[in-house]
Amino acid sequence: MSSPIKKIMVYIDGTEQSVTAAQYAICLASFSGAELIACYVVNTRAMEDLLKARIFLQDEQLEYEHDMEADGERYLNYVNELAVKKGVSIVRKQSRGSVHKEIVDIVEQETIDLLVVGELSRIRSRRDEFYDETERAIRMVNCSVLVVKDEDRVWEIYESLV
Amino acid sequence: MNIQEKCRMALIDLITEKIVKVPLVSNDKPEVIRELIQILVDAGEVSDFDAVLKAVNEREEKQSTGLEEGVAIPHCKCDAVSTLKIAIGIAPQGIDFNSIDGKPSKLFFLMLASPNQAGPHVEALAEIAKLVRSKAFCRAVISAENAMEVVELFRGE
Repeated sequence: MSSPIKKIMVYIDGTEQSVTAAQYAICLASFSGAELIACYVVNTRAMEDLLKARIFLQDEQLEYEHDMEADGERYLNYVNELAVKKGVSIVRKQSRGSVHKEIVDIVEQETIDLLVVGELSRIRSRRDEFYDETERAIRMVNCSVLVVKDEDRVWEIYESLV
Repeated sequence: MNIQEKCRMALIDLITEKIVKVPLVSNDKPEVIRELIQILVDAGEVSDFDAVLKAVNEREEKQSTGLEEGVAIPHCKCDAVSTLKIAIGIAPQGIDFNSIDGKPSKLFFLMLASPNQAGPHVEALAEIAKLVRSKAFCRAVISAENAMEVVELFRGE
């Protein structure tokens, strides 16, 4: 029987948790032979909201968009380096829009079998439940989702990968 | 490159009693900006007062961050901080902050971001923007009698 997981996507947002998720996804891709995609979303929706609320000026919005695109490139390049070190090839994908909606769309477009995400932040207030973009993506995607925990153990697994 | 500079930190984790001042004692815009920055200096979150003041004022010169209904969100990117910083001040008497609707500002959020941390800054600003859409929430915060009450309101929201 062939592996049920042919395409894995890991969501990268620049947090330590998402880097750990990337390390685990690299291990999974190496073990299973699955294709691996790393995705970063520039949250243009939030910036549009800030412009509408007149918190941002137009040129400020453009400046932040540019900064976030550069951040995304940096994060994706870093994850690519992690993959290359372990002989795994990775497709880098940068998208723009509402984070959870973009994740859902890419999962559908790319027919992803498994979405890998970092550990979620602790729920500290009621609004966290509504506004955590990763959590919303987890609820809405049509594929299975793996939430990666235990940074130290994942690091050991990643390091032991030849 | 150190990708791991950015930790997953909710806004609520940044809001502690030491970065909240109730009430602010300033009477005008230049004074209140200085008072908000001083909150962060006193809390040990910022060391270069002048650099922050310059960055905040440069942003204010482009357009006031005084919004509607008594809320002001002065913010900027600034080399003097390495991670996102926030200070909250309440001025129940209201301070003229050149706001959009011409009303005095009572609830102030000072937000400072490191230039290479655009993402967390945008997310935090967006979260504040969502919160202050609630007039009831703003009223409750402005009526708070001390910093602890303000922190509790943010935790409970």
